Amino acid sequence: MKREDFLNARVVHMELKPDMTVNQLVKQFYNSGSFGAGRLASACDIFEKMVRDEKCTVFLALAGAVIPSGLRTTVANLIRKRLVDALVSTGANMVHDLVEALGGHHYKGHWFVDDYLLYKYHINRIYDVFVPEEDFVKADEALINMFDEISAYRKMLSTSELMREIGMRLKDPKSIVRSAYESNVPIFLPAMRDSEFAYIHLVHTTRSKKEEALKVSAFEEVPEMVKIMEESEHIGMVVLGGGVPRNSVQHAALMSGKGLDYAVVITTDRPEQGGLSGSTIEETISWGKLKQKADKTMVISDALIAFPLMIAAVLERLGKDFHRKKNS
Amino acid sequence: MKKQVDIKEKGRFCGNCHYHNAYNYPDQNFCFLKFQDRENPVVSALDCCPEWQFKPQECFCLDETLKKNKKRSSR
Repeated sequence: MKREDFLNARVVHMELKPDMTVNQLVKQFYNSGSFGAGRLASACDIFEKMVRDEKCTVFLALAGAVIPSGLRTTVANLIRKRLVDALVSTGANMVHDLVEALGGHHYKGHWFVDDYLLYKYHINRIYDVFVPEEDFVKADEALINMFDEISAYRKMLSTSELMREIGMRLKDPKSIVRSAYESNVPIFLPAMRDSEFAYIHLVHTTRSKKEEALKVSAFEEVPEMVKIMEESEHIGMVVLGGGVPRNSVQHAALMSGKGLDYAVVITTDRPEQGGLSGSTIEETISWGKLKQKADKTMVISDALIAFPLMIAAVLERLGKDFHRKKNS
Repeated sequence: MKKQVDIKEKGRFCGNCHYHNAYNYPDQNFCFLKFQDRENPVVSALDCCPEWQFKPQECFCLDETLKKNKKRSSR
C-alpha cells in the first residue's frame, strides 16, 4: 500500500438542515465517515443490503432490556414486514413483551430514586424504566395457565415451539410474540430459564403432576436454527447488545458449515475483558463464525439510539411499497 | 416473649407472609399457595391463607390498606 492510498477519501463535514429526514442525516454521517457516525452509516448500508438480498435469512439477536425501554413495536413491525426472518432473544425481553400483551405496562421513571422505597411499593426498576410487580404477577398467572393448557397435549417442546404456542393464545397485535406467530417467524430463546420463565415453569411444575409437567428443551432449538441456516444461501445477523443471543446465532452459523455473510453489532461493551458482547467482529472471523469477506460493522452505541436510527433510515430507503421477494 | 406472640396474632395478613405479591395495589394480593392449590389466588391484602407463616416485611401495600381500612371505619 502506497502513501497516497491512505489519503484518498476526505472527511466531508456534516451539513445539517431543519427539514432533514433520518436517512438524510445518516448520509451526513456517511460523509463524515468518522467514529460512531461513520459506523452507523455503514450499519445502515449493510442492513439495507441484507434485506434486499433475496437469498439472505436475517437473524435479529436481542440482549439487554431493549423491549421494556421502547423497541417493542419496532421489533414487532420488523417481523410483520418480514425484514427479520428469525428472532433470537433473552427470555427477559420476551417476558416484557408478554407483560404488555397481557395488560401490563412499563413506565418512564428515573435512575436516581430510592430503590428500597420502590421495593416497598412493589415497583421494579430497569435503569430509568419502572415495571409494577403486579403486572408481572398478572403475566405470570396467565402464562402459568397457558403452560398448564399446553402441557395437556404437548410434553416436550423447543423454545421456538413454545413461543408459537404462546403467540397463538395472544390477542395483542403489537406483541412481538403474536406478530411472530402470525408471520411464521421463529423466536429462539437460548437462555430462557434466566428470566421470569423460570419461575413460571417452576410454579407450573409444582402444581402439576410431575409426569404431566411441560418440558422445554434448550437443545431442541439447535437443529432448528442450524437447518434454517443450511437452507439459506446467505445469512445475516443484527445484534443489539450481544451475550447468549449473539453467540447462539454465530455458533449456529458455524455449525451449519457456512458462517455469516452480513453482521451488524450494536453494543457499548468493550473487547478487553474477553466477554462475547464486546468481542470484535474480527475476532468472530477467527472462529469461522463470520466469513472473512462478510459485510460487517460494530457500532459502539446505546442500542436504543442507534437501532431506531438505522431502521428509520433503511425503511426510508426501501420505501412504503417494499416487499422482500424472499418471503412473498 | 408474650409481646412477640401478640404481634404475630395481630399481624396475620397476606401482606407480611412469604407467599403473597401485589395484585391490585394496595388492596389485593396474589397468594401463590392458593394458586398452586388451584383455588382463587386473588385475596384481600388483609386476608391470610391457611399456611400463613410470619415473615415481616416493610410492605406499603399492607400499610396503606391498613390506613385505608382505618379511615373507612372512622367514618
